[in-house]
Amino acid sequence: MNHSPATGVPDAPGSRRVRWIALGAIALALALIGGVLIYLSPLLALLEPHEATVGRVAGAPAAPPPPLDSKQRINILLLGSDNDQKFQQDALLSQTMIVVSIDPSTHQVTMLSLPRDLWVEIPGHASAKIDLAYAQGGAPLARATVEKAFKFPIHYYAWVGLNGLVRVVDRVGGVDLDVLHPVLDDNYPNDFSDSGYGTERVYLAAGPQHLDGRHALQYVRSRHGDLLSDFGRSVRQQQLLLAIQQRVAGTDLVAALPTLARDLNGHVKTDLDLLRLTQLALFMRDLHPGDVHQAYISAYLRDATSSDGQQILVADWPAIHAYLRQLFGGDLLP
Amino acid sequence: MTRRIALLLLAMLVVAGCTSSGPVAHDAGRVVLPVKQVPVAGRLYATKGRALYRFSGTDLTRLRFGSRVKDPAVTSAGDRIAVAQLQDQSSTIVVSDPNGQDRQILTPSSVAEGSLWALAPAFDDDGHQILYLTDRGKQPSSPQNLQPNDLAVWAYDLATRQTRRLVHPFAYTGGDSDPSYRPGVSDQLVYTTYLYGGAPLEPVARLTWMSLRTGATVYLSPDPGRNFEPALSRDGRFVAFIRGGAGGDDLYVMPLATTYTDELRPYPSDSAVLVQSGIVAQPVWAPDGSAIAFLKLVNGSFDLFILPIATDGAIHAAGAAQAVTHGSFLDADSRLAWSP
Repeated sequence: MNHSPATGVPDAPGSRRVRWIALGAIALALALIGGVLIYLSPLLALLEPHEATVGRVAGAPAAPPPPLDSKQRINILLLGSDNDQKFQQDALLSQTMIVVSIDPSTHQVTMLSLPRDLWVEIPGHASAKIDLAYAQGGAPLARATVEKAFKFPIHYYAWVGLNGLVRVVDRVGGVDLDVLHPVLDDNYPNDFSDSGYGTERVYLAAGPQHLDGRHALQYVRSRHGDLLSDFGRSVRQQQLLLAIQQRVAGTDLVAALPTLARDLNGHVKTDLDLLRLTQLALFMRDLHPGDVHQAYISAYLRDATSSDGQQILVADWPAIHAYLRQLFGGDLLP
Repeated sequence: MTRRIALLLLAMLVVAGCTSSGPVAHDAGRVVLPVKQVPVAGRLYATKGRALYRFSGTDLTRLRFGSRVKDPAVTSAGDRIAVAQLQDQSSTIVVSDPNGQDRQILTPSSVAEGSLWALAPAFDDDGHQILYLTDRGKQPSSPQNLQPNDLAVWAYDLATRQTRRLVHPFAYTGGDSDPSYRPGVSDQLVYTTYLYGGAPLEPVARLTWMSLRTGATVYLSPDPGRNFEPALSRDGRFVAFIRGGAGGDDLYVMPLATTYTDELRPYPSDSAVLVQSGIVAQPVWAPDGSAIAFLKLVNGSFDLFILPIATDGAIHAAGAAQAVTHGSFLDADSRLAWSP
């Protein structure tokens, strides 16, 4: 028989029942929270701070992210780079820089590609190609460089390695896209060889087709057989992002996030918090093809050679800022 | 910690609120025929997972080639088929009987300049010549000395085993695609030229007619634009093709003149859209010209459809397209072939 420890008087049957119900409820809640923690643990690992620290100049965006219920534009800097054995993990040139600008008020998304050879001022460093910013100071310096040059706030960043891209595409079941011209490259970098220095021959037929992760990476990475070189690659990269978005549109991307995060651990880094990531997944799910727009600044660039002999792209900055005002309205930095 | 738990619980609620299904997985398994099968007149060839399948009536046969293949082609009599046989980083053209037996390799997988691609074979009317794509004749290339290796249209003579280049592609475009002899004449071919056009430059694909007698080429579609994968009717009077646009890739058809001396203006003069609002690929005409088969993206899967066509008066679809396969994930980067 149970007794109250304070009085030694037996408990009334009703009070015992309440205590068991309370204990059961607590156990259930703990199990539920534990289950959710286990389920989401890969996602939490993904969201831990990962930023490279070499030469960091600024860890936060120039403007704070808009509040969750805001209708203000949100800009995310997508960074892609080699992360194979050829390079130090914290000293990677960014091969891809795309600003994804989300306007919640109009439910529109604009993707703006930034060419890797663009000559810019890198805060705290000498002027250089924009792809050097990530190598010199990780995502914070890449963010600060973009903000300074283009005069729009970067609220978040997401970095994806080569394997990360392959895994993302494979996880969503591959992508269906229209390959714009035949892709032939006799010197495509074999990123997954032991040394990381080998090359392989690549062929992709032109036209609509299904691509798995490996072939999608080949499509967006190859540039030797493309007259437009890096610009052609930018077009293909945006095309792939659109294809991924269309692949997940209308699907339960949020529920897939923990699995996706488990696959991507170490291959993706971001400072997006869980709530914003969830919101973005929901936002992406409801996007229609016409809601996503592609933008380039190639019309405002010219080829040049830097004083140290590099082939670079020099920008007509007033024209670019006017173009960005046209794209983003008054959401530029002062 | 409290904030994180709150976020987790919120995320859990959001997850619980999502009820739609996940993305369609790409299925490497079998070809799926719908419950109500659509009979195929003659023999229609397609690939899935780089394996060759033949649809005939309501029968489906997987042809055993012992290797990965794409781009099937068939003679007008249906007695020989050709495919591109894929190796790791090269390919060759192989011909065989209609069952994939009695195979003969026509083109080398490597020569002095390096490994080679050989793709997209197409027979002429009497099955004596084969058009195909290859990067043969390229300059040796290395990361320190990059050279173009674009695909060009070549011809192979089955009697003499001689090959010759017919077209010089634009460098660094990937080259040309989709070559076909024009049925009914021995000296014309049609293919897709890939190049760049507009300002700023963007990828362009143009339907191209060529006279083998004079070497003259004429574009049949405009610049800029993306018009590709031409498929000639068996009588040589019509060409079906894909027009790429912002909303998708549509199936068009237009009549062909007997010959061309100048580019069409306006382009294309009498084209008609047959299938719009979707992603369509790889059209091929029925041997009797009564239908066009094509692949269409439906729920994440490229499936085989047949569209009845009427060519009396203005060319038009004579009914709705019927699905031959369902959820079969056929290879959309591989041509279709159709024989009696």
